[in-house]
Amino acid sequence: MNVPSWTTRLRNQSTVRMKAIGGHLHLYYFWEKRWLFIALAIGVIMLNFFKPTDLSYPGIAVLTMSVVATILFVTEPVPLPTVALMIVVAQVTLLGIDSTDVAKSLMTDSVLFIMGSLMLAVAVVKQKLDKRIAWLIVQITGTRTSSICFGIALVSGILASFVGEHTVAAMMLPVGITLISLTSDEPRSVRNLAAVVLFSISYGASIAGIGTPSGGARNAIMIGYWKEFFYNPNIPETSVYLIDYLSWMKYAYPIFLIQLPLLTLILFWTFRPEYRDLSRAVVKLRAQVESEGSMKLADWVAILIFFLVLLGWISVSGQLGMGTVAVAGAAAFLITGLVRWEDINSGVNWGVILLYAAAISLGLQMKETGAAAWVAQSFLHVLSPFGAESGVGLWAAVSLLTTGVTNTMSNGAAVAVLGPIVLKLAVFADESPIILGYITAVSSAFAYLTVVGTPACTIVYASGYLKATDFLRVGWKMVIMSSVIILLTAGIYWPFLD
Amino acid sequence: MLDLENTSMDRSNRFRILVCIDGSDESFRGLRYASLMARGDDCDIVLVYVRPIDQGLHSGGLQASVARQNMLDWGLELPGVKFLKRGLDILMEEGRFEADWHSEATHTDIAGDPLGDNKIEYSNKKNKKIVLKLKTASDPASGILEQCALGPYNLVILGDTSGTHSGVMSFFDPAVAEKVAVNAPCAVLVARDLIPERGHLVCTDGSERSFEIVKKDAEMVSRFSRPNISVLSVAPDEDGIPAATNAVSQAAEIIEGVGLTVSNKIVKTGNPVDQIVDVGKGYSLIVLSDSGTSRLKRLFLGSVSSKVLDRAKNSVLVIR
Repeated sequence: MNVPSWTTRLRNQSTVRMKAIGGHLHLYYFWEKRWLFIALAIGVIMLNFFKPTDLSYPGIAVLTMSVVATILFVTEPVPLPTVALMIVVAQVTLLGIDSTDVAKSLMTDSVLFIMGSLMLAVAVVKQKLDKRIAWLIVQITGTRTSSICFGIALVSGILASFVGEHTVAAMMLPVGITLISLTSDEPRSVRNLAAVVLFSISYGASIAGIGTPSGGARNAIMIGYWKEFFYNPNIPETSVYLIDYLSWMKYAYPIFLIQLPLLTLILFWTFRPEYRDLSRAVVKLRAQVESEGSMKLADWVAILIFFLVLLGWISVSGQLGMGTVAVAGAAAFLITGLVRWEDINSGVNWGVILLYAAAISLGLQMKETGAAAWVAQSFLHVLSPFGAESGVGLWAAVSLLTTGVTNTMSNGAAVAVLGPIVLKLAVFADESPIILGYITAVSSAFAYLTVVGTPACTIVYASGYLKATDFLRVGWKMVIMSSVIILLTAGIYWPFLD
Repeated sequence: MLDLENTSMDRSNRFRILVCIDGSDESFRGLRYASLMARGDDCDIVLVYVRPIDQGLHSGGLQASVARQNMLDWGLELPGVKFLKRGLDILMEEGRFEADWHSEATHTDIAGDPLGDNKIEYSNKKNKKIVLKLKTASDPASGILEQCALGPYNLVILGDTSGTHSGVMSFFDPAVAEKVAVNAPCAVLVARDLIPERGHLVCTDGSERSFEIVKKDAEMVSRFSRPNISVLSVAPDEDGIPAATNAVSQAAEIIEGVGLTVSNKIVKTGNPVDQIVDVGKGYSLIVLSDSGTSRLKRLFLGSVSSKVLDRAKNSVLVIR
């Protein structure tokens, strides 16, 4: 008999190895999920040993759930929608709330609005108007790289402020990549050009996402919190806490417009593009767009529905609710056949809706059990030695806290977690909950530092043209610029609106 | 089923290298290194590029597939395709691939991604194969490990992705290379500034296990046109020197048994990790055995091999 060749032996050994790994796999499972166990252990310890005198048991339980959920949001050992399911289970088992009441607390107008907006987002992307938008941009801006980038940031921003940044990133990414790849085939020779074009899209969308309530889930969440925390139908004065679409825009839209030119400046200061002129790419882009033919009836109908939805948000959302308008728009797209249900079904990440529903429900529990108030008071104690317990100091602290949190998790989750605490903080510090609420919602958009910070960044990064370190290189400048602008706006512009 | 068994029998007699391409220079250097090893017709090269599917909230509730579908509708290539093509060009430059090879493309649908998994398999008349694979997975490391499980492979080559973070940061986010090196069922080469000419430095501690590794590595080195292999053993103190010297000469015997000559026989005293990292600087790569302790123990205590993997500035090959 022949001695087995070394490859056979290697192969046999690898079979043995595979079996051994089967035995080891459960250990690796624990390692991979270590944050889940760490979070649960912290939860058990808090429930049993954390007994502040001025917080009731339900308050401790809700606080524990928030801490555990926050750790899971940041570290993601399990798929995020799992956290939502765990929150629901814990609300029934730990707090003893009736299951039907928990279920009811999951669906609010804010959640309906987030759901409808996502459906609209898929419908808008499917209309394939991106080539025409791209052509419109270059027709207006000419072929200079800096003008095109400003144009892209402007258009991305305006679109993002109404339909959400993820929609815009998905629509504009091919535009950006087309311009880059038509300029040069070799990705290395257009690295800086790619950076300015792609960051114009993603940051343009990010800074605009705060512009209107439909720009992002966090805005809807904050509007929901204001209403739940402070509005009382029996006291007419509290109706100032019912923020409608237009009054949000009055507060937030100027912040986007001021940041826009600064964004282009920062990008060109950080990355010096290899090409000052993109006429070669623009000529080719023109040829591509011309092959599309003229606008069809369907295109006009899509634009009409889109503007009717905007009009609905601005004019009737106070009476009907923003969520209703959003789902009506989604229904209109489906009725006219402009989008198929299958596309919406596969394009919307339904887990996100579940997650926001659970996070908002938990946020309201934070208020009802007094947990939010307790955390807010503790936070104030920490801030007072620094003189940051009121006024601009407090604003800066809240903005900084939100920026820190939002860079580690999705901005909607950041607002859902921080919102109740910040609003209670405003009450204790005798500040306007409206101002601090806006600061939180707006600061949650300052997730420029990481790839996962904002949806637009994630989508743009997936193109493969950017490095994760690029986000850090330019992100810190953006954070400083945005923080200064929000504080200036809060100090100078907002007082005029009251 | 029979077909599958045939395939795995067929594969077990071949030397199969999995090269993970991420578009970095390092991954292409790793590929060139693989091609030096793949001179014979019994050696196959598989190139894999892993695209993560967005499963979290990161794309804000709109599936990343919507954006990708839109890219495809514009006629744009997704990232990865270009890198794999470049990999094939490199293999052609190195003379490992000819344009007239038979090719066969396969496609598997994956939920949540418009492109799914795609594979092009090139083979020549003697059935030497070069495979390009565009894979979708929840993250790069799992994608590579899934591909390993589909093997069997003899060697996985990947570029170091960790950059500078270590310690606390790696607890939060273990680098892809580290995760693959810990979990892959076969030898893993983590490439860092891989320069082929300098040869292998194989480390032995005199254990039975380490001699097996020496043998395996010698067999791997013999695939090169100009084999170059050296042996190192580190004694913890003066008293350990005779044992270490003995280990080195035993290892040299094994290597000579495979038909190679040993370039350098080195004995050092001191901390094994420091010495290995230090001596290893002058070589293409440091060859270590997987310590054989349990996974959990290794993760918490660390072993010489994982410490060297973490600290060495040049490439490391972990054989198991």
